[in-house]
Amino acid sequence: MLKIEDACITYGELELFTGLCIHIKKGEIVCISGESGSGKTSILNAIMGFVPLKSGTITVDDLLLCEANIDLIRKKIAWIPQELALPCEWVSEMIQLPFELKANRGIHFSKTELFSTFKELNLEEELYTKRVSEISGGQRQRIMIAVAALLQKPFLIVDEPTSALDTVSVERVLNFFNILSQKGMTILAVSHDRTFKLGCDNIIYL
Amino acid sequence: MGTIDISYWNLLVGLLMMGIPLYFLWKFKTGLVQSTLIAVIRMLVQLFLIGVYLKYLFIYNHPLVNFLWVFIMIIVAAETALVRTRIQRKVLLIPISIGFLFSVALIGIYFLGLVLKLDNIFNAQYFIPVFGILMGNMLSVNVIGLNTFYSGLQREQQQYYYLLGNGATHQEAQAPFIRQALIKAFSPCIANMAVMGLVALPGTMIGQILGGSSPNVAIKYQMMIVVITFTASMLSIMITIKLASRQSFDKFGRLIRVFKENKKNA
Repeated sequence: MLKIEDACITYGELELFTGLCIHIKKGEIVCISGESGSGKTSILNAIMGFVPLKSGTITVDDLLLCEANIDLIRKKIAWIPQELALPCEWVSEMIQLPFELKANRGIHFSKTELFSTFKELNLEEELYTKRVSEISGGQRQRIMIAVAALLQKPFLIVDEPTSALDTVSVERVLNFFNILSQKGMTILAVSHDRTFKLGCDNIIYL
Repeated sequence: MGTIDISYWNLLVGLLMMGIPLYFLWKFKTGLVQSTLIAVIRMLVQLFLIGVYLKYLFIYNHPLVNFLWVFIMIIVAAETALVRTRIQRKVLLIPISIGFLFSVALIGIYFLGLVLKLDNIFNAQYFIPVFGILMGNMLSVNVIGLNTFYSGLQREQQQYYYLLGNGATHQEAQAPFIRQALIKAFSPCIANMAVMGLVALPGTMIGQILGGSSPNVAIKYQMMIVVITFTASMLSIMITIKLASRQSFDKFGRLIRVFKENKKNA
């Protein structure tokens, strides 16, 4: 699903990493870990074309990351950034935002499916009608995971999915990711969380 | 019924009224006294100069000369927009100039040719004021809209990249920021339109009535001026944003630096 070959990312004079190779198979759950500033988020951003590689190549589902393929690659991805704070007033707006995109119009948004996913992640249905300001960081993280799952993309990229969660909730998220991976979804996460890391199929240290 | 001329002496008498706002600006230590005085002097000089060149434009009344005036207005308006938005010249200059030129020409000629049905649409008496009012409105709407669009993109980058990362096209990812730009730029115009004639008598109408037109004619011109300024402003900002986007994002849709750096940071 993902091949990163000999990748190097620099910001001006600062070299984050060089010679990075990552191979991820379909249905795998992989966690990238490492010290702050080692380039974990940058590599996630590079896969979506948000950060340029100084050298090396990235291939997603046999599509080489380049100008011609970038839209096709992004259509295969569900993406949850770290500490996502969308300027939406209502949780329902925040949830529906990606379903309004042309690329996702083929996916029927159903509240029944959403609430069933909510249940798996221990979220109450009432959250759907609340204001974004009324929910906690942990609830927001799990809501966005539920949304990403409903998008039914082959590749989920998620930055620090469990940073605001307790151990029980982390395990619940891991179980949920395992169900998704069994259905064929490939998951690439960045995390510092020990419980989360140990529950993944592979850990890459930067 | 003609218009009563104002003698230079009476103009000076009228200008004495500025003493009242200047007094309060000075009393409350607003720091605006000097800039107000400079603004008043600039206004007087600029309007006197306009009086002179408009006089000759009306005497020559030649389509080429009139168009040349429009081109100069577009250059001045584009430069003003660059200064007021602080957007880099290479990003904005050509897009906004094309946006202004296309919109003012299309809407202006449509109004003069199809609504007023003038035999000579380049007649300076109509061409100059109509194109002038269009330019003025387009400039203010573009400045507000472009500032809102680009500062929104800078501030809410996470939203922009979240949408792109979940499959949005570049147009879709920009759409929330264009929406905000249009809301901010056009809300005052819509509010003014809604109370026109109730809260205040609009400028074109007052000008026409003072110039000797009947109120019946004046209101029709006012209606059309509101419509053409609104339409031209919308057209120009949409063209400008569309064209400026080519310079504001790279081939992967990444936002590149659009605002000029502060001198302190340079």
